[in-house]
Amino acid sequence: MKASDWDGAFMKPLLQTLNGLSAGRKLAVAALMCGATTLAAGPLHDVLDLANIVMLFLLTVLLAAAALGRAAGVLAAFLSVLLFDVFFVPPRFSLAVQDAQYLVTFAVMLAVALITAHLAAALRREAHVAARREAQTHALYELARELAGALDGAQVDEITRRFFRQAFAIDAQLFLPDTGGALVPATPGAPAAEPILARLAFDSAMTMNDDEHAGGRYAAAWLPLKAPMGVRGVLRARPLDTEADTLHAQKTLLETAASLVAIVVERLHYVDVAQESQVETASERLRSSILSALSHDLRTPLTALVGLADSLALLEPPLPAPALETAAALRDQAVRMHGMVANLLDMARLHAGQVALRREWQPVEESLGAALNLLRPALGGRPVRVNLEPDLPLLELDAVLMERVFCNLVENAAKYSPPGAPIDVDVRRCGDEVVVAVCDRGPGFPADKSRLFSMFVRSDNAKPGVGLGLAISRAIVEAHAGTIAPEDRDGGGARVVLTLPVGTPPAVDEEPA
Amino acid sequence: MTARVLIVEDEREIRRFVRAALEHEQCEVFEAAGVQQGLAEAGTRKPHLVVLDLGLPDGDGVDFIRDLRGWSDAPIIVLSARSQETDKIAALDAGADDYLTKPFGVGELQARARALLRRQERRGDAASPEFAFGDVKVDFTRRQVTRAGQPVHLTPIEYRLLCLLIAHNGKVLTQRHLLREVWGPGSVERSHYVRVYIGHLRQKLEADATQPRHLLTETGVGYRFQP
Repeated sequence: MKASDWDGAFMKPLLQTLNGLSAGRKLAVAALMCGATTLAAGPLHDVLDLANIVMLFLLTVLLAAAALGRAAGVLAAFLSVLLFDVFFVPPRFSLAVQDAQYLVTFAVMLAVALITAHLAAALRREAHVAARREAQTHALYELARELAGALDGAQVDEITRRFFRQAFAIDAQLFLPDTGGALVPATPGAPAAEPILARLAFDSAMTMNDDEHAGGRYAAAWLPLKAPMGVRGVLRARPLDTEADTLHAQKTLLETAASLVAIVVERLHYVDVAQESQVETASERLRSSILSALSHDLRTPLTALVGLADSLALLEPPLPAPALETAAALRDQAVRMHGMVANLLDMARLHAGQVALRREWQPVEESLGAALNLLRPALGGRPVRVNLEPDLPLLELDAVLMERVFCNLVENAAKYSPPGAPIDVDVRRCGDEVVVAVCDRGPGFPADKSRLFSMFVRSDNAKPGVGLGLAISRAIVEAHAGTIAPEDRDGGGARVVLTLPVGTPPAVDEEPA
Repeated sequence: MTARVLIVEDEREIRRFVRAALEHEQCEVFEAAGVQQGLAEAGTRKPHLVVLDLGLPDGDGVDFIRDLRGWSDAPIIVLSARSQETDKIAALDAGADDYLTKPFGVGELQARARALLRRQERRGDAASPEFAFGDVKVDFTRRQVTRAGQPVHLTPIEYRLLCLLIAHNGKVLTQRHLLREVWGPGSVERSHYVRVYIGHLRQKLEADATQPRHLLTETGVGYRFQP
């Protein structure tokens, strides 16, 4: 029996009407069909053989089972046997049977009717399932086709919503992670709050059912969008039809649809990542080429200026003393200007996150010693006392940057304390940190220390400098996972304390002495 | 003998004061504005010292050093910017002897040039059996180190490191070079060893180990011994 046999102009609507009946009504219709057969066969009782009347009843059972399902078919089978016995088998209008051989007829008739009912009902169900599956497959295919063209999360959301509404009678809502990782609705303009079930579904990669509202108006299933590389978001499904248990019945279908959406969201994610890194690489290249061009272009004339001013002192015959003084002043100004340019460029690099630390294990006093050696001419004989605790661990530092920090701190201490006053540098271990304190006997820091390490802040406007030194020092120390803080020194003066984490230094095999 | 010096630098004004500084040191100075011209000049003038800018427009300064080292061992001073430590290391590993960070003063340049030229002159002399710096004396024949007359005990590695630094007196030695020479070619990964042992030497030989005067750190590059 092919589906097209049933596909008559009136059979289809009729079958659909029958399908829509409740279980009780289906049974009533089956009973009516048996009654009608009895009425129709009644006048033919004299014309037809009893065996042919049995056929009519069997046909009725088949039709009832095919159209109304198994329960109706079984009812029709029993009713048919009963009605046949009462109305057709002599003695008529009684349950009694004259001829014992009719008992065999009843038994066979009942067996055939039941088997027919069973087969017809099974067939009906399979046809039904096949049709539904085809419709679902078609729906999923349509969804996949539309999603393939989606360009962003909002479009995916729009397509998914429309689709779930039309094909599954479900109100769908996508929740995608935002830049901070919180799951927020992908629909533009929706309130950006993260529902707890969305988070649960996302984290566990399992469907969460809103049990509290199960079957009610707010029943919802939260489906994780599982893509090959991970969970990409959550889809909330709410049935539009609040009576039927749509969510449960269509669980597999919903999950399949969710995985389709997931793949699209993941594709979009990787497109984003690729684009972002492209843009980032491009802007990084631009930034670093601007910085290096700038530093080269500024340094070259400054180098010439320093050297040329210096070379004035070499002239023969020697220049008069005032001219030499001017030359020295020119040189000093050029050197200072170079320092400022270097600071500005360093700050720009550090701020842009451009500086890749070249960290190596070394004793902290090495950068400190190198800084003091660099500063020796600038310190002009001012004593610097370094108190180094013995047996300090090696630290993983970028030596060049740490040298900058120590230079800045010692230079600052020298700048803000009376000429000739000693500067103390204490280095000791304190738990998991090495603490370096640079102390002077100057006027100390102002009461409000909060902004000292910000850019362009100086504690005394009469002193030269752009006020970048401390900001750069802080950026460098923080890049080393350390801290830096200004303090008041006991007995007057300023104290800058920086801490550097110890980490796990590599072993040094001691050689036999 | 007048020392011949070649300046390879593209900036005219920088060339001008470098020339003035070196002529003041009684050197005969030749100039080149790029790598190609520099190599040609080096071939004809046979300089005793080369002052080389690393940022030349027509080529890599490091290639210049490699080329020159193919046939000349004239000392090379490299001019470069701070924050170009990798370039400096590459130049030193390729065979440069010293570097100056821009901007630099005339006095610094003259001192470095003098030191390298003096070393160049002394190269032919028989090695002295003794070397002294500060209050430290090193007796190479007896492998003995004394400080203010008192013997100082050095481990074999410390002694080898000190001898290497003294042998390249005034020259910047990169971490990698020191590791290879003292610890052997398989030790390039153990760069912290150099720092630790330099620290030992400073403690034993320097007046103030935290502010060394002889065993100097060239931050991010290596070390220099200065008598």
